Amino acid sequence: MRYSIAFVVLSLCAARAGAGDEQYALGADSKRREGTPAGKVSRHSHKSEIFPGTERDYWVYVPAQYDGSAAAAVMVFQDGKWYVNEKGQFRATVVFDNLIHAGEMPITIGIFINPGVVPASKKGARARRNRSFEYDTLSDQYVRFLAEEIIPAVGKNYKLTDDPRMRAIAGISSGGICAFTAAWERPDYFHKVVSHVGSFTNIRGGHVYPSIIRKTERKNIRVFLQDGANDLDNLHGSWPLANHQMAAALKFSKYDFGFVFGEGGHNGKHGGSILPDTLRWLWRDWKPVPEKKAGKDDGGER
Amino acid sequence: MKHAVPGQRLAAHLLLVLFAGGLPAQDTPLEQVLIDGEGWELVGEGYKFTEGPACDPAGRLYFTDVPGDTIYRLDDRGKPGVFVSDAGRPGGMMFGPGGKLYCTQGAKRRIVAYDPEGKLEVIASDVRANDLVVTGKGGVYFTDPRARRVWYVDPQRNKRVVDEGIERPNGIILWPDQGTLVVADTNSSSLWTFRIEKDGGLAHKQAYYTMRLTRDKAPQSGADGMTTDRDGRLYVATHAGLQVFDTQGRISGVISRPQKAFLSNVVFAGKGLQTLYVTSSDKVYRRKTKVRGLLFSPHQAPPAKP
Repeated sequence: MRYSIAFVVLSLCAARAGAGDEQYALGADSKRREGTPAGKVSRHSHKSEIFPGTERDYWVYVPAQYDGSAAAAVMVFQDGKWYVNEKGQFRATVVFDNLIHAGEMPITIGIFINPGVVPASKKGARARRNRSFEYDTLSDQYVRFLAEEIIPAVGKNYKLTDDPRMRAIAGISSGGICAFTAAWERPDYFHKVVSHVGSFTNIRGGHVYPSIIRKTERKNIRVFLQDGANDLDNLHGSWPLANHQMAAALKFSKYDFGFVFGEGGHNGKHGGSILPDTLRWLWRDWKPVPEKKAGKDDGGER
Repeated sequence: MKHAVPGQRLAAHLLLVLFAGGLPAQDTPLEQVLIDGEGWELVGEGYKFTEGPACDPAGRLYFTDVPGDTIYRLDDRGKPGVFVSDAGRPGGMMFGPGGKLYCTQGAKRRIVAYDPEGKLEVIASDVRANDLVVTGKGGVYFTDPRARRVWYVDPQRNKRVVDEGIERPNGIILWPDQGTLVVADTNSSSLWTFRIEKDGGLAHKQAYYTMRLTRDKAPQSGADGMTTDRDGRLYVATHAGLQVFDTQGRISGVISRPQKAFLSNVVFAGKGLQTLYVTSSDKVYRRKTKVRGLLFSPHQAPPAKP
């Protein structure tokens, strides 16, 4: 895990300059560049059958390079409104534009989806917020919702991949554990996972993942985790300890994983600042690799 | 690794929780409810099986002794006295509009309401009602555990089945704004939520809350009576104790049972509705809290003294 070690060292060095989140800033890859074509983002709404009564918005990002001649990769972001926001902590669509333009990730359709709410029928009554139920529950219900409702809906308008290695899923906080659960339940569907300050704590039983990972036959998924020393420590658990437990379990079971642990709190500043490198790592082998000559080792990530 | 001093660290945490990235609040621990040093206090004992704790508009507690056929209420000194005797196996109770005390009568297979003078009115007959909740408009939702049904009696007294299939529907309660109904399943770990439709029907059933189970009783939670507080927390009496959930259905914690016996039901009553009252087998207990309960039919005259 050369990448993660390098990042931890970098993070610790950076920490000397200033504790907490102030040290994390967006780099050039998260800013618009002249001459880099920008993808298009459209907003949609969805009423679910799998989560009965829920309504939600989602955004679809289509890169400028997409022309429908080949199937696009797919990356789904939970709490989509935070990731799609071009003035937010992640600016994922800008990063996509830059990385796709540079050939560092495939032509990828981004789906940025919000959690559901069940609006009350009575005027003024509070809606049933379904975020925790959808994201924190350890079941296949959410990934079924994506695979059977959302992705097919987007697929009506765009040619999408059916290769799990070309599908990625990401989220922050409860969205982070949600992304992991989706791939854990359906490794045949999602191969790549990104978790920012993921809630691998006992909100709805997610604290058991490290032990389950250690005692389950390895699944073919790639997992990236980011967390920070100033993340939450509350009734549900300690986020820093939980993420360390996750990383240790993934290491023990020889997963293809990356772990960046910095000094940040429960937000997307650190995760956002490293998103370009995270995506490079996640998609590092997306191009078919030419046969290597025998005996030559390039020392790349395994 | 650097270590911030505790004060700075706490301040940083608060700021992050409140403002950072718009992430929703995660922090809803039991300490927001419980007062240090306050425990359960005995209110009454010597009953056969207590149930149906209810709070009148003046904050007075009523409860039932089911096999004892009696409805009790606390006097001004907090001592239980008989409100109605020969009450026909009274079970679930709640105050509704007009200060009427709604009550299930197991022995007579009906739901009745006592007006402030103790005069009885039949709300529904030929029903096997276990527990009930009364809306601010005088509608009644009740559970029939044996038939696995939830019923609705509208304010004009027409009754109909509004849900079927929960394994053992028992406790039943509303969210504070009365837009959502919650039904407890004694036999599983789920509390089911429904959206209340304009005609009183139920929609979008979901196992929104997952309860803690005990090793010896799993998969049965023993979930029975419930109440809500003004902030939207939900409290449910179970084998594991009095379980508390936040507004997103996440468990905040479990308050220990006052005694090693079945915990049947819970309500907020007393001054400012700040005291939790629970019924447990032969006894009734109370405990002061930092939070406030609520009445679904507020602003009604309290019942006259007997």
